[in-house]
Amino acid sequence: MNKIPKLLQLILVVGGIYCAFVLVFDVILQQVIPNSLLNMYMFFIAAGVLAVYTFTEEGTEELLAPIKALVENPDKVRTRNIVFVLTPLVVAAYIYSQLLPSIEAPVELRSIHPAPPSSVKIYGKRYDLKTLENPYRVLETEDPEKFRELVSTGADIYIQNCHFCHGDKLDGQGPYAAGLNPVPLNFQDVGTIAQLQESFLFWRIATGGPGLPDEAAPWISSMPIWQDFLSEDEIWQVILYLYDYTGRRPRSWEE
Amino acid sequence: MRASEMTKLILLLSIVTMASLPPMAFSLDGDSESGERIYLKRCVGCHGVDGDGLGPGSERLIPPPRDFTSGMFKIMSTAFDGYIPQDQDIYEMIRIGMPGTAMPGWEDILSEQNMWDLVAYIKIFPGFDEEQAGPAVEYGEPIPSSAESIEKGRELFLQDDRCSECHGKDGKGDAIKRLLGDNGERTWPRNLTKPWTFRHSNDQKDIFTRISVGIPGTQMPSFADPGSKKMLSVEDRWHVANYVKSLAKTVRVVNAENTVIKSLRVEGSVPAEVDDEIWEQAIPSSFFLVPQIIVKDRHFTPSNDTVTVRSVFSADEIAILLEWDDRTKSLPGDEDAQKIADPEVLHQDMVSIQLPITVPEGMEKPYFVKGDTENPVNLWQWASGTTTEPQSTSLVKAAGFGTETELATDSLKASGAYESGTWRVVFRRSLSTESSDDLQIQEGIFIPIAFSAWDGSNGESGTKNTLTTWYWITLESESTALPFIGALIALFLVIGLEMLWLRNGAGRRNPST
Ligand code: HEC
Ligand code: HEC
Ligand code: HEC
Repeated sequence: MNKIPKLLQLILVVGGIYCAFVLVFDVILQQVIPNSLLNMYMFFIAAGVLAVYTFTEEGTEELLAPIKALVENPDKVRTRNIVFVLTPLVVAAYIYSQLLPSIEAPVELRSIHPAPPSSVKIYGKRYDLKTLENPYRVLETEDPEKFRELVSTGADIYIQNCHFCHGDKLDGQGPYAAGLNPVPLNFQDVGTIAQLQESFLFWRIATGGPGLPDEAAPWISSMPIWQDFLSEDEIWQVILYLYDYTGRRPRSWEE
Repeated sequence: MRASEMTKLILLLSIVTMASLPPMAFSLDGDSESGERIYLKRCVGCHGVDGDGLGPGSERLIPPPRDFTSGMFKIMSTAFDGYIPQDQDIYEMIRIGMPGTAMPGWEDILSEQNMWDLVAYIKIFPGFDEEQAGPAVEYGEPIPSSAESIEKGRELFLQDDRCSECHGKDGKGDAIKRLLGDNGERTWPRNLTKPWTFRHSNDQKDIFTRISVGIPGTQMPSFADPGSKKMLSVEDRWHVANYVKSLAKTVRVVNAENTVIKSLRVEGSVPAEVDDEIWEQAIPSSFFLVPQIIVKDRHFTPSNDTVTVRSVFSADEIAILLEWDDRTKSLPGDEDAQKIADPEVLHQDMVSIQLPITVPEGMEKPYFVKGDTENPVNLWQWASGTTTEPQSTSLVKAAGFGTETELATDSLKASGAYESGTWRVVFRRSLSTESSDDLQIQEGIFIPIAFSAWDGSNGESGTKNTLTTWYWITLESESTALPFIGALIALFLVIGLEMLWLRNGAGRRNPST
């Protein structure tokens, strides 16, 4: 480490973090971070790293040594001249590009799995989401045959109502998914139903997009309000099907 | 002697068998029992337990799921008088699915072996497991695409109304006749300018195959049928395939990244007509139209699929041009229009632009389906008229479904024109109005915008329509000198700092001076 000048180290660390961000979000996750947000993160990271490097007086001196040398060392006049001409040009170009009117769409951040309310009114009744359970779950062990039957009714409900958006493979790629924003959720993904309790799904399905709290931007979600179309039983059955088809388990209260 | 004759015979036999194998030949042996297990888990919802296409999901699908017991397969490469598809054909449909329908591709969750197992199982329904498919289509020598070949193809396409009879003179599938599939379901001739809706693909060779075989179960005929007056030679089929491929309209493809409509500043006044030259300069943005399956009454069988938007504005007005493919010009009262309508009630074609009444400050927008009580929306609506009524334009305020109220307006105008399968409608409005129930439009900000469309021949009216989610429209602000001045200030500031530093540094180097 000591071989590399401190200044270069600093540049490498900040540049490395930037590249890692771009690599992870843009390339691997395919979830491009909006520029404004990335700029803000990078500002804090650069400030943090700088604070670490200038913690002691020697640290600061070491860091600045190459810059000082540039001005004070007569052997480096040529490099100095180049740097001194380029720097103002780069800064000017940056300012110019920042002041041009933006055509990037405004950023919309929404929480995908907001905290559920503790109790909700559905079908004109109050449900306490903390204690609510799928009344049919017990049949899985107590009466497997009846359970299979209910899963299969759930499958029918799903194929008649949900596959248009969530896809017949439950992968969020239904025939109309491409025209929706936010996209219908992918139930095969470990980040959705496998992380959730069945009562959460009951709330989400019964109240749909408009039932979301503000931080989840209810006004853009196309998820329908299913209490207008399905009965309470039907919702529980379609939930059984979601877990059965994907082979996932609902999160239970103990976890 | 006898031994060498035997070898000859064996050699001959093996050459004959090799030659009679289908040309793409690669296939795995499917295990129909494993196929059945997979089928029961993943396919019954649509194709039914008995393979009859009557699964619980089938009612809400157009086209309906395939009835395997009928032995009819749409995508087939068996030469025209054969009726059994090659195994590879069935395999490909399972692997990549059928775009533009509910039939998905399965390659991302099923292994190759599993998909062959399904092929083996599906073939049992029509009894194809016991029969042999006939020879595949003859491809001859493919003719590479060239301006000449495309021109030849175009002539053959139009000759005696060969293809244009159904696909329309520009290939947009604008229906002239009511076409039904073998099971009585409505079918539409494909819009050949939208290759992403092809059931198979718009690969030159695949188009050649479709032209040669036709699409069984629909009215798309085989053009290799020697009994047909419109038959095409192998060579001519390649020319037509090249022409069909050249129809793909690339500017109107939906680009998921593009969510902002940029309104272009123009001198003078904004265009009032759809064919004004200025529209060539405006940047098109295309969006998917999704059927309204969110609130009652739902609509599961849409026909419109995308809308393309362009916009320009002047010092005091904005114009927005909407363009969408609609196979039918729905004119209530007109006999010809009535004949191709489905179901029998014929409504007007309509389109609307949805805008918030006040541009949101923060993130919150009106609910994307017609707004909500706290955040009402404006709807700019246009209807195509009937034989007795002219086209009409209206301004509507809505705060949720069912709350639409019409407002009086004299600043909103619209006019539309239909040509070979495409509607184009231009809306015009002054940027600002006197009414507090109107959106006031300003430059340089992002305004949410959404669209809806109705195809009156497809039973669409009221809540039965297609719609988009929120996108944005922005009027480019006048270019100012600000960025330039800013850059200049920065430039001098940095140079100044450098000078200062140099003097100090130089001072330190020679402390004596
Ligand atoms: C018109 C399209 C559409 C239809 C139809 C639809 N959904 Fe959704 N659904 C969405 C969208 C978009 C989201 C993501 C936005 C959100 O969370 O509201 C979603 C989210 C969900 C979630 C939340 C998952 C999570 O991880 O938080 C569940 C559960 C769900 N849908 C179940 C269903 C069920 C069950 C049906 C059928 C009865 C259905 N959906 C039908 C569009 C749809
Ligand atoms: C969501 C409903 C749905 C599901 C689930 C589904 N299909 Fe289909 N399938 C369709 C529809 C709709 C068509 C007909 C499309 C058309 O006619 O253009 C079709 C057509 C087909 C065809 C006929 C292709 C041809 O050339 O005519 C095959 C083979 C097929 N499906 C196999 C399967 C298999 C195997 C599965 C299960 C792994 C499956 N499908 C699951 C809806 C579905
Ligand atoms: C009698 C009406 C009719 C005629 C004539 C006709 N087509 Fe078609 N064509 C159809 C219909 C209907 C479909 C859609 C079938 C379906 O529902 O899948 C179709 C589909 C197609 C497709 C789409 C293939 C795919 O993969 O989806 C192509 C390409 C095509 N036709 C080309 C042609 C060409 C080229 C000609 C003239 C040589 C022609 N058609 C003549 C009715 C016709």
